[in-house]
Amino acid sequence: MTINNHETGKQGVAFEMDERGPVIFGPVDGPLERPAEKMVEGALYMETEEVMPELAARQSPEDQKDEARKALSMNLDRRDFLKLFGATAVASSAACVRRPAEKAIPYVNQPVDFVPGVANYYATTCGDCAAGCGLLVKTKEGRPVKIEGNPAHPISLGGTCTLGQAGLQGLYHLERRKGPAIKRANRTDALAWDDVYELLAKEFAGKKVGILTGGSTGHRHQFYREWLRATGGSESRLYTYEPNALYSTIAQAHAIAFGVEAMPRVDFRSVKTVVGIGSDFLDVGTSPVFLSKGFSDARNLDNGAMVRLVQFESAMTATGGRADDRHVIPPNSELLTTLALMRSLAERPEAKGTANVKAIAKKILAANSAALATAEGLGVSKAVFDQLAADMLKGGSLLLAGGSHSFDENATALQVAAIVVNELVGAYGSGLQLDRGWMVAPVKPGDMKRFAQEAAGLDALLIIDTNPAFTLPASFGFADLVKKIPLVVSMQTQPVETDDLASFVLPLNHYLESWGDEQPAAGFWSARQPSVLATTDSRQAEDALLWIAAHMKKSMPYSDYRAYLREKWKSLQASFGPKGDFDVFMERVLQKGFVGELANRGSGSLRDAATGAVKASGLLDSGTLRLLAPLDIRLHDGRGANKPVLQETGDAMTTITWDTWVAMNPGTAKKLGLRRNDVLRLETDAGKIEVALYPLPGVHPDAVIVHRGNGHPAHVSKISGANGVDPLSLFARKVDAATGMPVTSGATVKVASTGKVFQLAAMQKHNDLANRHDIVKKLGVAAVSEKVAARAGKVRSGETIRSLDDVPDLYPNLYKDSEYRWGLSVDLTKCTGCGACQVACAQENNIPAVGREQVNLGREMHWIRLDRYFEGDTDNPQVSIQPMMCQQCSHAPCEAVCPVYATTHDPDGINSMTYNRCIGTRYCANACPYKVRRFNWWTHRWNTIGDRLQDRNIRALNPDVTVRTRGVMEKCNFCFQRVRDAKHTAKSEGRKVFDKEIKVACEQVCPSDAIVFGNLKDPGSRVSQMRADVRAYLALGGDPEKNEFGLKTLPNVSYLAQVSHREGFGKGDEGHDTHAKGEHGGHGERT
Amino acid sequence: MTDASAYSNTVKWEKTISDVNDEILVNLRNPHPSFYLAFSVAAAALLLGIGFVAAHTILGLGLWNFAPPLYWAVDITNFVFWVGIGHAGTLISAILFLFRAKWRNTVNRSAEAMTIFAVMCAAVFPLIHMGRMWVGAYWALPLPNTNNLWVNFRSPLVWDVFAISTYFTVSLLFWYMGLVPDLATIRDRSKGFKRLVYGFMSFGWRGTVKQWYHYEAGYGFLAALATPLVLSVHSVVSWDFAMSIQPGWHTTIFPPYFVAGAILSGCAMVYTLLIPVRKMFRLEKYILPEHLEACIKLTLLTSTIVFYAYAVEFFVAWYSGNVYEWALFEKRATGPYSFYFWTMVFCNCIFPLAWWSKRIRNNIPVSFVIAVLVNVGMWFERYNIIVSSLAEDFLPGSWGHFEPGLWEIVITIGSFGLFFVFFLLFCKFFPIISLSEIKLIMPKPMSRGHGGAHGGTPSHAKGH
Repeated sequence: MTINNHETGKQGVAFEMDERGPVIFGPVDGPLERPAEKMVEGALYMETEEVMPELAARQSPEDQKDEARKALSMNLDRRDFLKLFGATAVASSAACVRRPAEKAIPYVNQPVDFVPGVANYYATTCGDCAAGCGLLVKTKEGRPVKIEGNPAHPISLGGTCTLGQAGLQGLYHLERRKGPAIKRANRTDALAWDDVYELLAKEFAGKKVGILTGGSTGHRHQFYREWLRATGGSESRLYTYEPNALYSTIAQAHAIAFGVEAMPRVDFRSVKTVVGIGSDFLDVGTSPVFLSKGFSDARNLDNGAMVRLVQFESAMTATGGRADDRHVIPPNSELLTTLALMRSLAERPEAKGTANVKAIAKKILAANSAALATAEGLGVSKAVFDQLAADMLKGGSLLLAGGSHSFDENATALQVAAIVVNELVGAYGSGLQLDRGWMVAPVKPGDMKRFAQEAAGLDALLIIDTNPAFTLPASFGFADLVKKIPLVVSMQTQPVETDDLASFVLPLNHYLESWGDEQPAAGFWSARQPSVLATTDSRQAEDALLWIAAHMKKSMPYSDYRAYLREKWKSLQASFGPKGDFDVFMERVLQKGFVGELANRGSGSLRDAATGAVKASGLLDSGTLRLLAPLDIRLHDGRGANKPVLQETGDAMTTITWDTWVAMNPGTAKKLGLRRNDVLRLETDAGKIEVALYPLPGVHPDAVIVHRGNGHPAHVSKISGANGVDPLSLFARKVDAATGMPVTSGATVKVASTGKVFQLAAMQKHNDLANRHDIVKKLGVAAVSEKVAARAGKVRSGETIRSLDDVPDLYPNLYKDSEYRWGLSVDLTKCTGCGACQVACAQENNIPAVGREQVNLGREMHWIRLDRYFEGDTDNPQVSIQPMMCQQCSHAPCEAVCPVYATTHDPDGINSMTYNRCIGTRYCANACPYKVRRFNWWTHRWNTIGDRLQDRNIRALNPDVTVRTRGVMEKCNFCFQRVRDAKHTAKSEGRKVFDKEIKVACEQVCPSDAIVFGNLKDPGSRVSQMRADVRAYLALGGDPEKNEFGLKTLPNVSYLAQVSHREGFGKGDEGHDTHAKGEHGGHGERT
Repeated sequence: MTDASAYSNTVKWEKTISDVNDEILVNLRNPHPSFYLAFSVAAAALLLGIGFVAAHTILGLGLWNFAPPLYWAVDITNFVFWVGIGHAGTLISAILFLFRAKWRNTVNRSAEAMTIFAVMCAAVFPLIHMGRMWVGAYWALPLPNTNNLWVNFRSPLVWDVFAISTYFTVSLLFWYMGLVPDLATIRDRSKGFKRLVYGFMSFGWRGTVKQWYHYEAGYGFLAALATPLVLSVHSVVSWDFAMSIQPGWHTTIFPPYFVAGAILSGCAMVYTLLIPVRKMFRLEKYILPEHLEACIKLTLLTSTIVFYAYAVEFFVAWYSGNVYEWALFEKRATGPYSFYFWTMVFCNCIFPLAWWSKRIRNNIPVSFVIAVLVNVGMWFERYNIIVSSLAEDFLPGSWGHFEPGLWEIVITIGSFGLFFVFFLLFCKFFPIISLSEIKLIMPKPMSRGHGGAHGGTPSHAKGH
C-alpha cells in the first residue's frame, strides 16, 4: 500500500500546475537536471569532467584543451567521441541517483504521492451487497484497475465473492447515467443538480417523505433517519429492503427467540459437524466470503479433523456440492426436516441446552406433531436423523438453515426452529456467536411489511440504491404502491427497472466513488473511501440529500456526508480508537480499512415466544412440481446482470452462462419426455414463462428451479436485456408473515414442452468423468489417514518418499540453475465452484467476454475453467469441481509443436506466451492434453460483444497486461506481470521473493482458499508443502504409487485430492466402475 | 497379351506421329461443350471460395464453425486430403518411371498436373487457417524477421513447410520438364500470339539429339529425386498428428498409413479424372482400358494396406490398455462420429473389394462410382482422424462437439473449384497425354508387325 506522503525533500520541487495537471515535478538543484535552454559557449563536454573528476584526472590538461578544441571544431575522432559520450551517459545516470524519488501528482482533489506505473492501493468496503467485505482497490494512474480483498480485514480475509470481484465493471459501466433527469409526461429532460435540489426541496417541503433503501450496516441508515427528522419528517419512514430475505428472517427469528435483531456470527472452526437445511451459505448466504473462508479453514485436513457438512436440500447448490452427506428433501420441507432433527435431538438424553430450551423444544414438537407425522415422506429415515443427532451431540455442531431456495411462508419459523436446534446442540457460544461480535442485520426485519402498509400514505418516496421493481415479485404490488405516491425519486448507480416508476432519476456515485462505512459485526467498523473521483456527473446520495435539506432551509450541520462520517467516527475513536489527533486516527483507519472492537452483550436465554412462532404444515403432496426461485451465485438478485464478466461466468452446477435455465431432476424430465435445451412453459396461477431445460442431477424430483437475476427488459441494459427470464413473475402474492418478505419458493407449477429448442450456453458439454482416474482423485477421510500413517512409517524406516517430480525422465536436472520454480496447488476439497477466480482472472488479464453465441460454440476465453463432474446416483450425485488452468507442464506438449517459438519455457517453470510471435496455427492447443489454451477467433473490441452487447469500459483494462488481437493464442501464465513485479522488487532489495509475496489473481480472490501459488524451489513454501502432501497428485499424471506416470508432462500445477466423510467416497477410483451415466453423460449433447 | 497384341497390331498400328499430334492435341482446338459447362461450374465454386477467404481475412477466423476443443477441423482435413491427392501424380510419373511401368505413359501427364494443382489447393489451407495469415506466411519460413528468431525446428509444422514446398517444387519441375518437348510440338503447330507464348514456354526446344540426351538424363534424375519425396511428404504430414500426444494421433503407424492412404486417394482421383477427360477429349484410343485397370489395381493394393492400418490402429488401442486411447476408438466406431467412421470404412475398404473381380475392374461406370466413393472415404478418413480425436480427448470437462457449418462447406467447395479450374485450364491448353512419350514407345514404322522394340504400343503396358 502506498501511503500518501507529502514530503518533498530538502532540495525543493518545482511544482507547477496548469489545467491539465502537473507540469514539472523534478528537483531543480543539479547542473545536469535541467535541459539546456540555449547553446552554451565553450567546450561542450567540459562539464562532464567537472562532474566526474576522476575522468579528468586521467587526462592531462593539454589533452583536455586538445579535446576542447577538437570538440569545438566538431572534429572529434570516433574513439574520443565514444569516450566522451560514454562519460556523459555515466555522469547523467549517476546524477539521476541523487534525485529524490518522490513525485507528486494530484488525484482526488489532493496531491498524492505517485510514481507513474506503480499502483496505489486504497482500502475500502465493498458496496455490492450488505456483507461489508473489506477491499483493496488497486489504482493505476488514478484509475481503479483491480479489486482485491483486504487480507487484513476479518470479513473478507483477502477474498471477494464473484459479484464483488466484478465491481469495476459497475464503476466503468458504459450505461451509467450521465446526469440527473426529470420525467414529465412522455418526455425526459436532463437537469442540472442545482435544479434538482431546488425542485425537490420545493416538493418535499411539508410533505410526508419516505426513503426506501438497500441494506447497510453502517451509518447510512442512521443518516437517512436523521435527515428525515431534520427535514421535518418521521424517522420511521425509512424502509430498508434487501432482496436476500435471509437477513430479515434470521434477524427476525433472533428477535423472537432472544430479543436481539441480529444474526449470529458463524465460527466453523469450533465445531465438528455442520448441518445445512436448505442452506446456501457457500453460494449467496448472508456473507459468502466470510462463511466460505471460515468453512474452508475448518475443512483443512492439516488442522486435524475436517469438519463434516451434512446438507438437506431440494435444489443442487454449490453448498450441497461440498457436502459430505447430502440428503434430498422435497421442496419446502425444510421446516419439517428441522423439526424431525429437533425431535431426534430432543429424544436424546445428552441433548444440550437448559431445561427451558428442552421444554420449548418439547412444546414445539408437540404443537407440530401432526406435521411431524408426515415426516416419513421426507425420503430421509428417522434413523438418519437419530444418527445425525448423535453425531451432532458428540462433537461441536451447528445448524445453518434456510437460503433463497427455501424462502417460503415458513422462512422465519424455520429460523426459529433452527435456533432451538442450535440450542439443543449447544451451538450458541461456540459455533454461533450472538453475544460477542454478532453480525449486524443490514435491514430492519418487518420493514417491507410496514412499507406495504404505509406506502399509500406517502407524498414522496426516495428510492436509494435498490431495485424493488425487479427484485420483488410483480404480485407484491410494488409498482401499484409506488404509483399512488405523487413524487418518486429513484437514485441509482445504474439504470434499473425502478427508474421507470420515478419522475426524478438521479445517478449516484458508485461505491468506489463514495464515502461510507459498514459495521458487519457489532463493534467492528469498516471504512469506505473513494478510490477515484466520480467518473460521471453523479453524486453521493447522502450529499444530494444534504443539499436538498439546505434548499429546504433545514440544513443539517454538515458540509457533506464525509463530514457527517467524521463526526460519527470521532465517537468511534472515543470508544475504542487510539487517543490523540482525530485526523491521524482517520488516516490510519483509511489506510487499514477498518477499526473496531467486537461488541459484547450478555447472552440471553431462549424466550417462550419461540414456541408460537413455529407452525409447520404437513408434507406437501409428492409428485406436484414446485417452483423454487433462488438467488443466482453470480448475478445475485439481478444486480450483477449488467456486468458481462458475470454473465459469462458459468453457474457452478450447470456451467450455464448468459441464460436463465430451468433445472429439474433428470428422472422427472425423462418421465415427462423432456430433454436438455427443450423450451418449457412454466405456468402457475400468477403467470407463465418460457425457459429452456437443464436436467440437473441431485435436484429433488418435485423441484423445478429457475434462478433469479436475468430477465431484465431491454431498455435497462444492453448486457442483460436479451437474456433469460425472471421467475418471480410466477409467484402469487404471499408473504412471510413475520417479515413481510415475499415468498419466492414453492409455487405449484405446471410444466409443458413448447416444442421449441433453445441452446443454453453451458460451457461444459460432458458431465461425468468417463471412468478416468487420474483427473480428479477422491479419497475418503480414512484413506487419507492410512496414507499419512504409511508415509510416517516410511519416514521412520528411513525410506525415501517419492515426490511427484520423481518421474523417469530424460532430462533429470530440470530447473537446476534457477532460483525459482513457480508452482500452484489447488485443493479440490475446498473449491466450491463459485467462479470468483474466473472473474478475477478476467479482470487481471484483460480477458474479454465473448457473448452467448460464441460461448455456445465453445469459444469462451476464460483462462481458468471450472470443470464440474458428477458421479454416482443421478438423484444424489457426488460433485467434484476442478479448476483447470494452464498446468505449466515442465515437459509441455505445446512448446515443441509451435513452429515460431511463440510458446516457450521460462527458466522459472512458466510456460509463457509471446503474443506477438504467435501466428495462430493452433497446434499448441491441439497438443495440449488439458485443453486450457484459448484462441482469439475474433479481435474482441472492448465495449462490444459481437454487434449487440458491450463489454467493459476500456478504462478498466489492466495496463500491465497486453490486449490480444485476433489470431493469437493465449492462456494462463501464472499472472506473469505479478511475478515480474515481485521479482523486480526483491532484486532491488537484494533478496529473494518470499512466500505469499506473490498472489496470483485467482489465489488472491478465492473465497475458499483453494488455490495456493509459490516457489517450488523453496521447500518451506506453502505450495511445496502442498505438492508434497499425501493427497497431492498431478492431473493426467497416472498413479505414481503403481509406477504409472501418465503423460509425464510434469505440470507445475498440482492438485490435492478431494476428501469427504461420505461413505464409500473415492472407492470408485479403484476400478472401472460402471455407474449410471445415461442421464447426465452422453456425448457432447447439443440438441 | 495375345489379345492386346492383336489389338495394338491392328488398330493402333495405323497411327502416325502426326495422328498422335492431331488426336491428342484436339483439346487445343475445340473441346467438347461439356468442357465449358464443367469450367463454369468450377469457376463459380472458385469464386465462392475466394469470397469466403476474403471475408475470413477481413473479419476473422471466427467465421469458421469449429471451436475449442477442436482447434483444427475441416481446414486441416482439406489440407491433408489435397496433399494426399497430390501423391499419385508423382508416384505414377516418378516411381513407375523408374520401374519402367509402361502403362503410366498415357496417364502420367494428367496425373502430374493433378499433383501440382492438388498441392496448390493443399497449400491454401494452412495459410488461411492461421490467425493472421499475413504474418504467418512469412514467419513460418526461416526468413529474417523483426522478432529476430528463426523457426522452431522441433515443430512438425515447420517440417511440413519444408516438405510441401520441396515436393511442390520438384513435382513442378518434373512436370514442366516433361512438358517442354510437347510444348515445342504445339509451338510448331500454331501461329501468331499462341506461337509466341508456346515458344516462350518451350524454352527453345528443337528436339536435337543433344537436347534429348540432356532431357533423358535430367528426367531420370528428377524422377530419382522425386521418388523419396512421395514417401516423405505424407510421412511428414502424418507427423503433424503423430508428434502430439493426443489419443488417436499419437501413433507410430501413421507415416506408412498416411502414405498408403495418400496413394489410395491419389490413384482413385486419377481414375476419377481420367474417365471424364477421356470422354471429353475423345482420348479413348490412347487411354486404354488396360491403363485404367492398372490404376485400379494400384488403388486396390493401397486400399488393402489402409484396411490393415485401420485394423491395427484399433488393435493397438485395445492392446495398449490405455483408457484414453481405447475410449477414443470405441467412440469413433460407436459415438457421435460413427457415421463418418463407417462411411470411411465402407468407402475405403469394403467397396474397393469389388475390384477383386476382373469384370468389375473393367466395368468403367461401376469402377468410376467406386473411385469417387474412395475419394469421399479418404476425405472422411482425415475428418475422422482430426475431428473425432480432438472432440473428446483427455478431460471430459473440455469435451465438445463439431459438425461442419456453412463456411466449412463453402471453403471445401471452393478448394474443389480451385482444383478444377486449374485442371480444366490445363486440359485446354496443354497436351493431356505426353506426346513425346507416346511417340517414344510407338512401334517404329519399319518394325511393323514385330511388336516393336520399345515394348509395342501403349497397350503393352498393362502387363508390366
